[in-house]
Amino acid sequence: MAKRIILGAVALLLVIAAAYASFFVAPTERTMGDIQRIFYFHVGSAWAAMDAFFVCFIANLLYVWKRQQKYDSLAVSCAEVGLVLTTVVLITGPIWAKPVWGIYWTWDARLTSTFVLWLLYISYLLLRSLIEEADRRALLSALFGIFAFIDVPLVFFSIRWWRTQHPAPVIMGGSGSGLDPTMNKVFFFSVFAMHVLAAFLIVERYVLEQMRHDIELLQREAEA
Amino acid sequence: MKNLGSVFAAYLIGWSVFFLFYITIAKRTSDLRSEIERLKNSLPRGK
Amino acid sequence: MSLFSNTATLLGKELRTEFRSRELLTTTVIFILVVLILFSFAISPTAEESREFGPGLLWLAILFAASLMLQPCFLREQTNDTLSSLRLAVSDPFSIFLAKLIANTLFLLLTEILMLPLFAAFYNIPILPQLHYLLLVLFLGSLGVSVAGTALSAISAQARMRELLLPLLLLPLLTPVLVVSATVSVSLLDREPVVQWKGIAFLAIFDLIFLTALWLFGEYLLEE
Repeated sequence: MAKRIILGAVALLLVIAAAYASFFVAPTERTMGDIQRIFYFHVGSAWAAMDAFFVCFIANLLYVWKRQQKYDSLAVSCAEVGLVLTTVVLITGPIWAKPVWGIYWTWDARLTSTFVLWLLYISYLLLRSLIEEADRRALLSALFGIFAFIDVPLVFFSIRWWRTQHPAPVIMGGSGSGLDPTMNKVFFFSVFAMHVLAAFLIVERYVLEQMRHDIELLQREAEA
Repeated sequence: MKNLGSVFAAYLIGWSVFFLFYITIAKRTSDLRSEIERLKNSLPRGK
Repeated sequence: MSLFSNTATLLGKELRTEFRSRELLTTTVIFILVVLILFSFAISPTAEESREFGPGLLWLAILFAASLMLQPCFLREQTNDTLSSLRLAVSDPFSIFLAKLIANTLFLLLTEILMLPLFAAFYNIPILPQLHYLLLVLFLGSLGVSVAGTALSAISAQARMRELLLPLLLLPLLTPVLVVSATVSVSLLDREPVVQWKGIAFLAIFDLIFLTALWLFGEYLLEE
């Protein structure tokens, strides 16, 4: 319990520090100006989301193999947190895009894949809500989760290779592609902060899910 | 200095989303905790 | 080679069941037809636009039709619990999936071939010159739809609201198939046709990946 509070406090501090760094430490970008500062928050969330979904994928595999409740709890926690992070990505992206490209949205590879990813994990949670029996729900959602995750690179490459006839706005190259060293440090610090925040949220959600499972067992005992 | 408002908006919206998510978890956790207590108390009586 | 003989027997059963009533085939053909007609009411394309958008709309119609056509796939096994008998009868559960997905691919292909002349007429697109390549794309795309659809149909059959759930699970997952099949078909039916071999290869790889996933995880989909 104490560890969770410490994790939460650390996450909060890191996020505040990262925001401070994004506003006051990082230099202003030459071409875009201050709007570029969204980049640290936006891309940090995106990377944390991908890692959350990756852990979800591993948890799905582990559940199918070992059938232990903890893997199912971990999977749903990662999926929800990943979805929350992706939602933030999909909101902050257009806020960044409008002043810079003049449009809120475009159907390029990265945006479209992010949106399809969002849809797939919404379906994952929806599927879970429509199966009542716990073991069945865990198994079937794990299998769908596996199929969904395998699909993600296929979605990305299919759009990247076959939808580039639209004039793609030049997205600022990812970190390291000629980024100013201070910006680089702020960027990686932001990525780190978002990961710690994600970890904290996943832990909290995991504890909740395990508790729900315990309650079900207790209820069954009480009825017996 | 232009567009700084959008940056603030983005950060604020992002943080609210995370905060809201955390609040819903915390609330459900405390609800469940009281439910567990209630169930634990009803067990010895039943048995 | 009991996988082969099991699959062959089950495939025969699937085909016989369908050809007895042919209800699935007829309804699917009519559905695609209706969707294509509705598209032209909604958009009222010019001759040039028809050529540009037609194939994409055809694939969209195929996807919608498939997400309906695949519903009974595992649902009909639930009425008399024939699934448990099937599982006992075969040595490898993958043969059940293989038989169903081959049958589904054949049904889809059949409806598409029946639709082609009407599609060509309504959208004023000559299909004969590139027919062999078109059939190849139809085959690979339909195979992809079938593999993913058969797997997801096994999942959704065990959940509530399965009629709405299957399209919701399937359509985002099939984004790569839609994008690539539509693009390859458009360039195939263009005034100066081009065969996009990269696209055809991509579809084949998509099919292979999901076929492998189904082979690895199929038995868990059928668990009691």
